[in-house]
Amino acid sequence: MKLILRLAPPLAFAAALLAIWFVVAELRLVSPVFLPSPGRAFGDLAARFADGSIWEPVGATVQRMILGWFLASLAGVALGAMIGLTPLARDLIEPTLEFLRPLPASAMIPVAILFFGLSENMAVSVIAFGSIWPVLMSSIFGFGAVRVRLQEVAALLGLSRAEFLAKIAIPSAMPDILAGMRSGLAVSLILAVVTEMQASLPGLGRDIFLAQRSFRSGELYAGLVMLGLIGVIINHGLQIAENRLLRWRPQRS
Amino acid sequence: MTLASTKGDRHGADGAPVAVSLRKVGVTYSPIGRPVLEDISFDVREGEFLSIVGPSGCGKTTLLRMLAGLLRPTTGDALFNGAPIIGPSRERAIVFQDYTNALLPWRTVSGNVALALEKTVPVKAERDAKVAALVAKMGLAHAADRFPTQLSGGMQQRVQIARCLSQEPRIMLMDEPFGALDAMTRQTLQDELLALAAERRTTTVFITHDLEEAIYLGDRVTVLSANPGRIAEVIEVDLPRPRNQLTTREDPRFLAHRHHLFGLLQGH
Repeated sequence: MKLILRLAPPLAFAAALLAIWFVVAELRLVSPVFLPSPGRAFGDLAARFADGSIWEPVGATVQRMILGWFLASLAGVALGAMIGLTPLARDLIEPTLEFLRPLPASAMIPVAILFFGLSENMAVSVIAFGSIWPVLMSSIFGFGAVRVRLQEVAALLGLSRAEFLAKIAIPSAMPDILAGMRSGLAVSLILAVVTEMQASLPGLGRDIFLAQRSFRSGELYAGLVMLGLIGVIINHGLQIAENRLLRWRPQRS
Repeated sequence: MTLASTKGDRHGADGAPVAVSLRKVGVTYSPIGRPVLEDISFDVREGEFLSIVGPSGCGKTTLLRMLAGLLRPTTGDALFNGAPIIGPSRERAIVFQDYTNALLPWRTVSGNVALALEKTVPVKAERDAKVAALVAKMGLAHAADRFPTQLSGGMQQRVQIARCLSQEPRIMLMDEPFGALDAMTRQTLQDELLALAAERRTTTVFITHDLEEAIYLGDRVTVLSANPGRIAEVIEVDLPRPRNQLTTREDPRFLAHRHHLFGLLQGH
């Protein structure tokens, strides 16, 4: 009952937006070539679920995005630990990062195509390049903020460098790492779609692009809805993982 | 008070074994700065409870950090069991005042205590038993699975003390451990600490800015003066043990010590 009460207002808001979409489409305020009715968009989506044809592009997009994001997170945490924990690495690496960071990941697509061709590797490397920044930046901050007191405790207990990393530095930086990974995931979905459109790799991005080119607006919007759903589901999953990993933190009220 | 003993000698002037001996120790943080500590010489006897008291800014914490091996003396010699203190060691445990910062917030009470044992007791069942015993000893059995943020200040400090005990140190270095606690909790922890010290005979160096606490706990009290930190006086506390929050504090000798130290600290 409580859950229903909590979910009612946001659901009502979404329903209101759908209703506006419905009215605009039904009254033909916008040509159906550009804006199908919600019924058609959701109908097309339902049809693709029914015949199972949705799963292949969804699988391809999600796989690409997760792989790129995972590699970016791994590299971001490792690099972030190095920079955050050792002043020498910070002085050495940070200026270069400041140069690379503002480069739009989409500008790296031509470079990646030169190196990898129109391949899966190209897409994954672009996704990784773009989604490394949030996790790298927040890891640098997180590892840099490990309390001095805890470093002293580690020294007094004779912990090795590896033990310090595993038992103190990584858990201490974990809230920042996870926050960065969550932002990185949003970027990786964007770039998965962009690379698919650019390189015509199988996936939701290419489907949307092709639907637009052949004026199948219902299919186009079905793809968009599906992308939104993917974002919601993955973000929710991460939120659950985060709550579990950080259950030691005082509950935010 | 005589402090004579030649360098490397493991016995003080009165023949008692010595755990720590400091000879003309000085600490200066920056090459051009004023010294924080100057000409500090004293012994800590094996098994004794030594209180160090002094005004804020007199270098008490610096002294304790030096004993822990977290910083090196700029001049003079600091010896522990006859060997120079050159770095941190599990033999010398330190209890920090800021327990909130010294505990791992992502580990439970048991997990925090276990941290000190993961290296020395690799068998988990054995380690768990040791941890459970210490947690129970510190009166934390009911909170063993709670996280530090769910505990009161007094309980968090108990966790830190349990962690230090678990490393079975030869000496406990305590940096105003009860300074941030309320009066009632402080008295309870003082008595728990005295019971532990009596039971284990662990040499303890206890830093405080509270005169009465220094006298109540200590076998001896070392008084530091400020700017730079020097030893003003060392007194023997001739009060019977076990001590009692009411009778000890009403003892004429306690009051005499208090009177004397108060005058000493005001004078500087």
